Amino acid sequence: MADKKDSAGLDAVDAGPVSSDVSGEHHAGNEGDASEHASVAALRERFADAVVRHRVYSGGQHVVWIAPEKSHEILAWLRDDPDHRYDMMSDVTAVDYGNGRPVNMVYQMYSTVHKRELRLRCELPLDALEIDSVVDLWKVADWLEREVFDLFGVTFNGHPDLRRILMPADYAEGHPLRKDFPLRGRFSRAEQTRRALNQDVERFYRAEDLSAGRAPQEVAPVEVGTLASDDAEGDA
Amino acid sequence: MGLKDILPGGGISATTGGIFGAGGPTFLTSKVDWIVNWGRRNSLWPMPFGTACCAIEMMASAASNFDLARFGMERMSFSPRQADVLICAGRVPYKLAPVLRRVWDQMPQPKWCISMGACASSGGVFDVYSMVQGIDTIIPVDVYIPGCPPRPEGLIYGLMMIQEKIRQESLSRHFEHRAEDPTLVARPLASDFEVAELSGPFGNSTQQEQLSSGEAVRVGPGSDDPLA
Amino acid sequence: MAQKTIELEVGRGREMGVDGNPSLSPIAPFDIVEPDMNTEHMLINIGPQHPATHGVLRLVCELDGETVKRVVPDIGYLHSSFEKLGEYRTWNQIVPLTDRMDYLAPLIYNCAYVMAVEQLMGIEVTERCKVVRVILMELDRIFGHLLWLGTTAIDVGAFTPFLYSFQERERIYKMHESLTGARITTSATRVGGMMADLPEGWTDQLREFLDTFPNTLAEVHQLLTGNQIHIGRTQGIGIINGEDAINYGFTGPNLRATGIDYDVRRDRPYYDYETYDFEIPVGEHGDCYDRYLCRMEEMQQSVGILRQALDRLPDGPINVADPSISLPSKTDAMSDMESMIHHFKVITDGIPAPEGDCYFAVEGSKGELGMYLVAEEGDTKPVRWRIRPPSFVNLSVIAKLAEGHLVSDLIMINASLDIVLGEIDR
Repeated sequence: MADKKDSAGLDAVDAGPVSSDVSGEHHAGNEGDASEHASVAALRERFADAVVRHRVYSGGQHVVWIAPEKSHEILAWLRDDPDHRYDMMSDVTAVDYGNGRPVNMVYQMYSTVHKRELRLRCELPLDALEIDSVVDLWKVADWLEREVFDLFGVTFNGHPDLRRILMPADYAEGHPLRKDFPLRGRFSRAEQTRRALNQDVERFYRAEDLSAGRAPQEVAPVEVGTLASDDAEGDA
Repeated sequence: MGLKDILPGGGISATTGGIFGAGGPTFLTSKVDWIVNWGRRNSLWPMPFGTACCAIEMMASAASNFDLARFGMERMSFSPRQADVLICAGRVPYKLAPVLRRVWDQMPQPKWCISMGACASSGGVFDVYSMVQGIDTIIPVDVYIPGCPPRPEGLIYGLMMIQEKIRQESLSRHFEHRAEDPTLVARPLASDFEVAELSGPFGNSTQQEQLSSGEAVRVGPGSDDPLA
Repeated sequence: MAQKTIELEVGRGREMGVDGNPSLSPIAPFDIVEPDMNTEHMLINIGPQHPATHGVLRLVCELDGETVKRVVPDIGYLHSSFEKLGEYRTWNQIVPLTDRMDYLAPLIYNCAYVMAVEQLMGIEVTERCKVVRVILMELDRIFGHLLWLGTTAIDVGAFTPFLYSFQERERIYKMHESLTGARITTSATRVGGMMADLPEGWTDQLREFLDTFPNTLAEVHQLLTGNQIHIGRTQGIGIINGEDAINYGFTGPNLRATGIDYDVRRDRPYYDYETYDFEIPVGEHGDCYDRYLCRMEEMQQSVGILRQALDRLPDGPINVADPSISLPSKTDAMSDMESMIHHFKVITDGIPAPEGDCYFAVEGSKGELGMYLVAEEGDTKPVRWRIRPPSFVNLSVIAKLAEGHLVSDLIMINASLDIVLGEIDR
């Protein structure tokens, strides 16, 4: 078991599914028919330069890619304009395709007034994983964006309380749902066990846990005692 | 001229150590043992450390159809200070591991531990970055109950095994039974090597074959040593 | 199609004012001026191991005496990375994972997931399969609500409804077991159909359950609905208005208790729900009591839907006839070469998906359960599997709901939200 054989095969195993189309047009398929969806038609008209593409998938689900710089403006308009009135933000999530492809932010919206749903996506290049937060528009985005930050590493400008939500606050292995993150984590099990149990006992009762607005990088580093290799910071 | 001079071996038998049995059971201690063990095993207060699906089966065991009350276990003690047996029912991620260790440390002796379900025993379906691959790396486990989730009958069988274990105990081996290392408080039970062994993949699936024929343990970046 | 939303008129306790807020009693010293003491707020930690948090949830509370000034829920104590695991499994291999997320109503998750895959791939399931899935989803809606009922009753101090609801759940467990072999982790569905058709006598078992279940529900109504202790602990607690509720992402009975009648079954119908005759209970005050009433009535309505579904259950195949999607029968696979090849390919390769993504929402027992799948052309595994968990979003509102209430009210609010940590932490 302590064999030090070449682990190249393991990396392939851990790499997960490889995207089949590495270059060229990733979202093949034809441009969707904007006239079928009132909001898409209005978007194309009003924000023509910000709409990157429009597809229809899965038997009638309209997906519009928009430029991330205009995302807040477009989403605010979609929420407030009486013809569209997307008052319910069903989901805020992200998709990492791997292989250097941009991370896609996904906004799934529903209008209880007009009974319409719409999906907006923004492509974020890997070296600029940030986008404006929509917490001021929909309070539900608070935790949903925190989860995207935790699992993908996307920073949300203007989020009142951007910290990790599912992983421990001082999780040092990185952002788990990225494709380059191995399934079993970057540390050995022994290391993970040690880090888990070396957590400061008083952290369970700290007053800082209540204060919002604490920047995510301000968490105190964890002393792990007999750590053989200390270069295991990941990209937290 | 006392008993010591008349009896062979000076009154201390080879297996027993005198009437109160330092080192072995005697007539008196076996009766006391029997009473103590009877009392302990029939009034176990479980500490339900229920996390996921197994916790629902644990609740079903406590409900009227399977009824833990006939074993004296209906008083689920949610305070570890008043509990006897910790039933860890469900998967335990690393974030929850210190909580589990702390709850275990807070339980006074005599205490036993049941690892209920596949996830608590070995990580189960979840061989992932966030899941403890078996709580026996963190706390000492007495009985493992397989299943995903185990039926309430399985949990009851596991509890009966704990009762059987208690039946075998003896006051003369008190220090052996109740041994607990105070320096291990809030520390994992298993050493790094044991964690690597216990968490390593097993079975005969193709992926696990690849992993066990190569490096069985994922190491930290830049390190060859699987025990880093 | 006869659907109307009914609004429940329940007499509120005499101590309640007209607006649903407690009217001041001359005995309780509401108008005493607090003496100016130099006090600090206490920091109390509830959980993650706690009987009343319904799972491994940690609530960090800042208290002024007994009043909650701020509560911050801390989750992640059950994070099992289902979404990442899904990326390593073929479409059918993900089905067993779905049981373990919402372990209180596993069939809803099973169905919702394969419905999303089928939407992505453009597969139309057979009529029998549609009705069977409606039956299983409604049965598990009752199943999930029963557990909520039992544990909420314990939180309010009533132990008996817990035993009653678990006894009813045992009957549903038996039905799960005769259908799939497992009590909780059912994994009953597959892409294009079901793991197996309903066994002999299953529908009779269900009819028997439906005949006697409403009696138990009536008994619990008698115990809780008019009970002054229960009313005192739930009325006026954790109020939220409809507009805020939508903005905060509430769905399901939590949202309907505020007066907004949004139900995925009616507004974005699937599997012919618009042809079933049922009513959607809508509350008025948005407090814990209304949430309780909504769920109790929903169980009653589910019984009605189940009876209708049983009556219209058609004969016919349960799986899609396409051999590249559904497994052939064992007899065929063992005797016919082509069937064996199909069997082999479906199991080892999987089912290739078209390029695209799909968001499919169903009305789960906790709220709007959304499954979001992303695939590239020909993928047999998803690029991304995202679950939009209703409890995750519902729990995030607790900070707003519990401010100003007492600690015991915080427990009640937590119970009334009906959360399941498995789907929150995924």
